[in-house]
This record gives sequence, structure tokens and C-alpha cells, in this order.
Amino acid sequence: MEYVNPLTGFRLDGRRPNEMRQIRGEIGVVAKADGSALFEMGNTKVIAAVYGPREVQNKGQQINNRALVRCEYSMANFSTGDRRRRPKGDRRSTEISLVIRQTMEACILTHLLPHSQIDIFVQVLQADGGTRSACINAATLALADAGIPMRDIVTSCSAGYLCSTPLLDLNYIEDSAGGPDVTVGMLAKMDKVTLLQMDAKLPMDIFENVMQLAIEGCKAVAHYIREVLLEHTKQLECHRGA
Amino acid sequence: MESSKGTEGLAGEIEVEAYRRLFPLPFYERHLLESVRPDARPLNRARDTTVALGPVASADGSALVKIGDTTMLAAIKLEVMIPSADAPDEGSLAIEFHMPPICSPSVRSGRPAEVAPVISQRLSDVITSSEMINLNELSLISGKAAWMAYLDIYCLNADGCLFDAALLSAVAAFSHLQIPLVSVNDDGRVVAVSGELTEGKSKLELVNKEKRKLSLRSKPFSLTCILHEKYILADPNSEEESIMDTFVTVVLDSWGQLVSIYKPGGAVLANMSTIKACIAVAKSRVKELNNILNESLSEMEVIDYYSKKSVVAQLHADKPPKEVTSEVQKSLS
Repeated sequence: MEYVNPLTGFRLDGRRPNEMRQIRGEIGVVAKADGSALFEMGNTKVIAAVYGPREVQNKGQQINNRALVRCEYSMANFSTGDRRRRPKGDRRSTEISLVIRQTMEACILTHLLPHSQIDIFVQVLQADGGTRSACINAATLALADAGIPMRDIVTSCSAGYLCSTPLLDLNYIEDSAGGPDVTVGMLAKMDKVTLLQMDAKLPMDIFENVMQLAIEGCKAVAHYIREVLLEHTKQLECHRGA
Repeated sequence: MESSKGTEGLAGEIEVEAYRRLFPLPFYERHLLESVRPDARPLNRARDTTVALGPVASADGSALVKIGDTTMLAAIKLEVMIPSADAPDEGSLAIEFHMPPICSPSVRSGRPAEVAPVISQRLSDVITSSEMINLNELSLISGKAAWMAYLDIYCLNADGCLFDAALLSAVAAFSHLQIPLVSVNDDGRVVAVSGELTEGKSKLELVNKEKRKLSLRSKPFSLTCILHEKYILADPNSEEESIMDTFVTVVLDSWGQLVSIYKPGGAVLANMSTIKACIAVAKSRVKELNNILNESLSEMEVIDYYSKKSVVAQLHADKPPKEVTSEVQKSLS
């Protein structure tokens, strides 16, 4: 199957190989949560809600000098093509929960909030590839909305290699093609990588190209997220009558 | 009440927010004396309701409903199954209500909310007993294939009146549902067919000729009221629900017939006149909800109609808005 048209260079959905899908982020979608955000990357739609810092519910897990960060990733039954039976407990969801938790833990200044718990809940409403990245981006926005101190904005993007071309931001069809899928999560301004995952085989020099492409995608997302946060802050200023 | 007498002196000294947190019941009673609620609603008015159809593109029918801040997302997915032997001409429904931890700080991950299975069961009961859906319409080939409709409702924001919002989202999703085109392939299995097959694929024999909607006999709508002393508060939010514990849910269908009444205990005992008053408030609310749903449906129909017509127009992005509007109007007329 030709994922990249050899004549025109377009992908299946009409994008160029180094073009991301359309991204959209909105803050404050869940009124009851301390912080919440909706993030869309193309057809992938994800809601993240942050509750915290609050009292640790299970006293046995309390940490004396840092905050406890918990994360739960779940997909809605109707989010994928076929209806899913087990939205939460399966291995993939547990693995992604762990990945998101560790990624966000690296950037939250947990030593400022000892004896407390920060809960990050991510709910996938529509899945079309790149759910991991969309979840991390949504979680960043939600944490910023909750006012939790962070080192930097964490953004994530995926890239792959099909038909001898590095492709940015794979959708579901490209992802299930069997080629390599590199997901990168980075702290944008500090230019440091916190998350790097890849599966399938890839020669070393091509891997460097693909990872560089993903890093550029992350920077583009970070630019957009910064704009969204600035806009939101201006609106808050306006409402407070400053 | 003694407690409110004692706090009357304090009330002048504490700030309003602190008073609201420390003495919620007297705070509310002061408002109820003036027949109003803290969010300035009169006692029998429900919150602003919006219905959006089709937010989930990958589902066969979906709806997003907001009553005040309470948000519900309902989506229906259809799967082919073999009907049971004693009902070969009927499809079936599976209704599930989920409260993911994002919706409320009181829902902990790992421990589902207490009310979620209760609402799930009641939704199932109400939708079945209101006979909104004729299961024969979900049949494909008698005895061999029928549709199983999985309805999943996710609460995205819990701010009171979860059952009302969930029922409204279920009804809206069923109104939006379009049964996809299917045909029987060589193995005798029923497969879904994508929309654009008018290019004469004569091998595929269509079981149903075009995407159709279900004909809903009567749509059930509900209203939850809270009873407190002699007051009836319609459409409580979560703060009101947490301090006053007696509520009555009345479900009426679009013809004004009573489908279900639910009063699960509570401190306040209701007599006939109170119940009748609740039903009267519910009647006007049902009319309101019916109008809102019909408005959304007719908007969707307009969009469907024009998309079927496949109208193509050349719109130049750099032209001023008035010119673009007139071009659109010209091509649509």
C-alpha cells in the first residue's frame, strides 16, 4: 500500500511528510476539576483533568518530601473503530498510564508540594493514532490550568518511517502499517527529551532523522500550547478586571 | 430553627462564602424564603440546556448534552449479531453509563462511583419501558442477522441531575442514529459497506437500500426535583444535591404520558399534592426539552440535505465576508 504517493509526495490524508495534523487545545472544559483541557490532534480527541494538589487518599503511599503523582489513562468504548470491551484494566492502558505519569513527574516540581497527591486523568474520546502524544499534551495544558508548578511545558509528537520517507504525526492507518513508530516527549525550552519510545527496526542514521523530525513536531506543539496559555491568561485578566 | 437563630448574629460578621461553606442549609433557606436560589434561578426553572448532535464522527449516532455544567457524551455503535431463537425479528440494546474519574473530585480511580451502576440500570429500565425503540427496526435478516446497539454514555462533568442529562443524551443519540449500509458477502457474513457505492457494484446486494434513521415512537424526558420542607427545587446542581437528600425523578414521554416516577427514600415524606406539583413542573420542562431536541435535529437535517446535494461552490478566502455569503447563498438557492 502506498502510504506516500511517489509522484506527488502526499500521504493518504493529503498531508506532506513533514506536516502535522491540525491541533486544537482548549482549557477549562471540566468545571469541577482543578485543571482540565481538551486536546485534538487531527481526529484524535482527548480530555485531561487534573485534581490536586490534594490530600493523599491512601496514607500508606504518602511521600514526606514530594508530591505523589498518579495517572490513569482510559479509552471510551466508542473511541476506536471496533467497540472496546475493557477500557481501563488492559495492559496497553496500564502501560500508557505509567508512561504519562513518569513523563509528567519529571517536569512537575514535586518537592514544592510534599504530603500531597496530584491526580491526572486522561480520557480518550476519539482515537486516530498518536493518542499517547495527545494525552501528554492535554495533561500539560491541564496541569498549567490547575496552577501546578512545572519546570517547563512537556509536549509530545510521534514520527515514523514508511516508503523510505520519514513521516511526522502518524494517524491510525499509518501507525498500523507495521513500520517504526517513534514517540518523543520533550521539555520544550530546556530542549531535553523525557520520553522516547520506538518499536520495530530502524537503521541508526535513519533513526536520527526520524527523531529529529519528531523533536521539531514537539517544538511546534509547544509553540501552539504557549499561545493557548497566553490567550487564556489574557482572558482571565480581562475577567478579573485588571 | 434553633441553629439558624444562633447563627444569625454570626452571619453579619462572617463573609458570604465562608457562611455558605460552614452553614449550607441556613444559607439556602434564606434564599428559599425569597423563592430564589443562589444562582438566581426561580425554584421551578431548570438550567440552560444545549444539545449537540454528532460530535463523535466514528460512532453511528452520538450526542453531547449540557445541562448547566453537567456534561454527558453519548455514542452508539452498531454491531451485527445473531438474534435469539425466541425473537428472530428483533435486535437488541446494551446501555452502559460510565463516570470516569475526570468528571468529579469524588470519583476515585479504581473505585467506580456509587451512583454509576444505579443510573445505568435506571436508564436501561426507562428506555425499555418507554418503548421508544421498536426492536423490529433493528432486524436485518430474520433469524440470521440483527443489529446490536451498544449505547455508551460518558459523564464528562458531574454537576447534579446526572440521570436527566444521561437520558436526554441517550434520546438525542438515538434520534441522530443512522443505520449504516450493509450487504451479505460470499461467506454469508454481513459486512458494512461504505457510503459511495453508487458506481454500480452489482456483486454486492444491499440488505437495506439507504442509510435510515430509527422511527422513535415517543421520546422520554425527565426532570429531577429536590424536596425540602415545603419547597420543590427543580434541576438541582451538585451543591444542592449534597445538602438536601430527598429527590423525585419524573419521566414523561413526548405525548405527556407518565413513564416513571422514582423517589428513593429521603428525609422528606411527600404527599399526593407534592407529587402532582412535581409532575406539573416536569410537564413544562418536557415541552422545553422536546423543542430543544427538535431544533437540533432540524439543524442536522439542513446540513444533511445540503451535503447530499453535493453542492460545490468556489469560495475565495481573500474576498470580504459579504461577498462570500452572497456566493454561498447563490449556490444554495
